[in-house]
Formats: sequence, C-alpha cells, structure tokens
Amino acid sequence: MVSEDFFQKRHAYQSSNSVLSAERNPVNREPILELRDVWLRIPVLTMETRSLKKALIRSVTGGALRKVGSGAEIEALRGITCTIRHGERVALIGHNGAGKSTFLRLVSGIYQPTSGFFRAHCPVYPMIQKSFITSPDLSGMQAAKGHYLLMHGNLRGFDAFIDDVIEFSGLGDYIHLPMKGYSEGMGARLLFSMLTATQHDCLALDEGFGAGDARFFERAQRRMEDFIGSAGTLLLASHASELLRQFCTRGLVFHQGEIACDAPLEEALAFYNELFN
Amino acid sequence: MNSLTKLFGYAWSSRRAWWFTATARTRARFARTALGSFWLGFSNLLSIGALAVVYGTVFNVEDFNHYVVYLGTGLVIWNAIAAAVSSAPSLFEYNAGHLKNTNLNPVFYSLEEWAFQVQSFLQSFFLVLLVLSCFQINLFVNLIASGLLPLVNLVLFLYWIPLILCLLGVRYRDLFQLVPIVIQLVFLLSPILYDKKNLGNLAWTADFNPFYRVLSPLRHALLQGELKLGQSLLILIFNIFGICIALIVLERQRKHLPFLV
Repeated sequence: MVSEDFFQKRHAYQSSNSVLSAERNPVNREPILELRDVWLRIPVLTMETRSLKKALIRSVTGGALRKVGSGAEIEALRGITCTIRHGERVALIGHNGAGKSTFLRLVSGIYQPTSGFFRAHCPVYPMIQKSFITSPDLSGMQAAKGHYLLMHGNLRGFDAFIDDVIEFSGLGDYIHLPMKGYSEGMGARLLFSMLTATQHDCLALDEGFGAGDARFFERAQRRMEDFIGSAGTLLLASHASELLRQFCTRGLVFHQGEIACDAPLEEALAFYNELFN
Repeated sequence: MNSLTKLFGYAWSSRRAWWFTATARTRARFARTALGSFWLGFSNLLSIGALAVVYGTVFNVEDFNHYVVYLGTGLVIWNAIAAAVSSAPSLFEYNAGHLKNTNLNPVFYSLEEWAFQVQSFLQSFFLVLLVLSCFQINLFVNLIASGLLPLVNLVLFLYWIPLILCLLGVRYRDLFQLVPIVIQLVFLLSPILYDKKNLGNLAWTADFNPFYRVLSPLRHALLQGELKLGQSLLILIFNIFGICIALIVLERQRKHLPFLV
C-alpha cells in the first residue's frame, strides 16, 4: 500500500514544509501543545499476545512491534515532534491504526508519553467518550448533572445547560426516565447534546463520534459546526476530506505512529492521497 | 510531594462530582425496591439476628444482650471492610471505558468508590446502632463521646487499602480469585463472632490482623464508651501514611492504567 519511496517523499515534504511553516504558521501566537521527540510504547501484557506473530499485531495496530524481555510492546507513536499554536485548526490524517486516535488521547492526557517532551498549555478536551459516567439505571437528568459537575465542579448555570440539552436532544420528559429504557438513538442524542453544550479552549475530536439517528443527523451537523467553530484550537481526526476542508487549515499525516507530513491542509491531503491511493 | 499536593487539590475540587456519582450509584442499586437504601441496614440486621441466635447458643453466652451488641457492631464494621476490599480489584476494570476515552484523573474512580462504600456503611451503621440501642441504650452517646476518632480511622482505612488492592488487581488478575478466599479466612480469624480470649494461643494473630486493628477500637468505644487515644492516634498516623503511599503508587501507575484494563 505504501510506496517504496515513502521516506524520500516524506523527507522532501518535510523539507519544503519547514520553509512553508516558517512563512505561513502564525508563529507570533502562543503554543498550546509542544511535543518534542515524543514516543508512546504500549505494553502488550496478555499471555496470548506472546505467541502472536509480529505481522498480525502490525495489521491490528498499525504500530511497530518491539520485543521487551519476555513480552512485547507496540510503538504506537514514534518520535513525534510538532507545535500546535493557539487558534490553529489541525486535521489528523491517516489510515486506520496510523496513530491519529492515539495522538488525540496523548495530547488530551488520557495517555502519557513513554519518553520525550510534551507540554499542554491549556486543558485539551477529548471528545471520544461514547458512554455516560453514571449508571444506565439512572435518569438522563442525573447523567447530565453528573457530567456538569465533572466539567464545572458545581451546579451554577446548570438550569440553562439542562434546558439546552433537553431542547436540542428532543428528549422532553424522557429526560426524567432511566436511561436503560432509552433507544440507542435517544442515548446518542443525549450524549451528543451534553458534550456539545459547553465551549472548550482546545478540542480533540474523533470523527467516529456518533450523533444519533438520521432525523437528528442534520440538526446535529449544524450544532457540531457551531461547536467546532467555537473551539479555540481544534484537532480533528477524520478520513473525510470534505469535513477536514470545512474546519481545518493544517494537516498532519500519520503513518505507523510517525508524522509523515506536516503541511498546510491541501498539501497534506495531496501527500496522503499520493501515498496511499 | 508536588504530585501529592495536586492529587489532594484535584480530590477537593472534584468532590461534588464524585460524591454525586457515588450517591447516584446507591440510588441505581436500589432502584424500584420498596425500601430503597434501607436494605443496606436491614440486610445487616438480618445477619446479626441470625448469627446472634445461632452462635449465642453454640457459645452458650451468659449475657445475650451484650453478645448481640458485640456481634452486631463488629459485623456491621466488618461488612463495610469486606465490601470495600472485595470490590477493589475490579474497580479499574469496571471503569475501563472511561479510562480509555476520558481524561479524568483515575483518582476520581477511587474516590467515587470510596464515597459509595462510606455512604453504604454509614446508612447501615446508623440503622444497626439504632436497633442495637434496644439492647444497650448508650451506643450513640458512646459514639459521640469516644467513637469519632476510631470512626474516622475506619473511613480512612476504607480508602487506601482498597486503592492498593485495585492497583495490584489491575496488574495481577489472580487477585480477583484470591481476595474472596482471604476475606473468608480473615473473618474466621478475627474476633467478631467470639471474644479475643477465645483464640487462646492464637490471640497474637488478632494483633497482626490489620482489619481487626481498625475494627476493634471502634467497637470498644461503642460498647465501653472508652477511647484508646494512643492506639487510635497511632492508627491515624498509619492511615495518613497509607493514603500517601497509595496515592504515590497510583500516580506512578497512572500512565499504565489505560493499557492494563
């Protein structure tokens, strides 16, 4: 799938990009995220994986396998170096398992680097959550309250928040019923409405994030656009070029845990298309 | 030290969230039951009643009223410790989805679990004390006069011992199987159904039994109205030390947790 001259191309792009970056990047803006030679090695601890073939693990993870003692570890991110500045809209591009989601998890603090320098100058909100923090035996109202307390530490402003969530999700009085009685679509609508009801300085978003049933989808798209638009800084992982063009100006192409290309979006997309199609 | 301060700061600033989600869990547990969380106390009272009749007869106790209170206070405290310890190894496994997809500090889950266990304990403890007051009227007076420090010690103990166990449990899966067995054995070795002197030559085992060392001062304060201050202060220092150690271990393990669950 990857052409043999991949590394030559990457070098050429990064060389030209360093000039482009210097010219186009808003260097006067403060950095939000700084990564220098960041590595993330994920230990493979189950007994079964000790007997798995290297190729099989590669096909599942996209990362590189390294033997450590009697076990193994996956190099999920390898030597990541980049700076993301305030207000930038960054697209994360790459095939499944290339490292996009791992990068999102790293910058948002879910994962911590194994080595290298990483600093986040503001909280990065990961929008990859697909379940509620509270039990499904509880009502949607209690789930919303738990979420709000987690976000704010108190209930000041909760009334406006819950009014917005109820109105947008269209749950109405169902908000007071146990969530285990909700359909899948109702649950997804509630979760989507809750997570998009608050603005964030820096948003790490995975396109896999669901938005409920088809009727809800169009309204959800508009709200998502507003939500993404209101974020100070955006990191968006997606396979959809149109979505990335709509929101992003810079592209990071991931391949086997490395940043293969860091360039303005169109150049990054061109690089990705040339490399993988 | 800096990371410990940050953890304490986070625990304090997020207190309303973890207390709320713990309360929500209790509500969910007793959803659609007629008696709700009163079941916590009632289940203890049923055990106390049954065990008091059986073992009161087996041991041929002279003062049944005293035995009921002795067994009842011991059992309700033991049940709290056993519940916290038993659920500990699977705590992070239970929260695996959140550990992998949200950037909540893992200490949140330990605090929520602790709050859940403390809420469950306090509800059953006060109901049991209320009923046992029929056998010994001064239990609440003794609690306020002498039992507060031992009670604080128990509540602190319910945080750090389960936290250590869940950090071990996430790495060593054998703990899931081992903990229930050990809990049973420690229960049989602990002077709860019987008096410490009945252990005879094995009485020393109670002194090295950490669960009993936390249980005993609280029960003694409730029954006798006497605070063993030196012993309780020593346990308090031990608890504070234990909490610090548990949090340091948690902070060191934190980067591995999403990959272990």
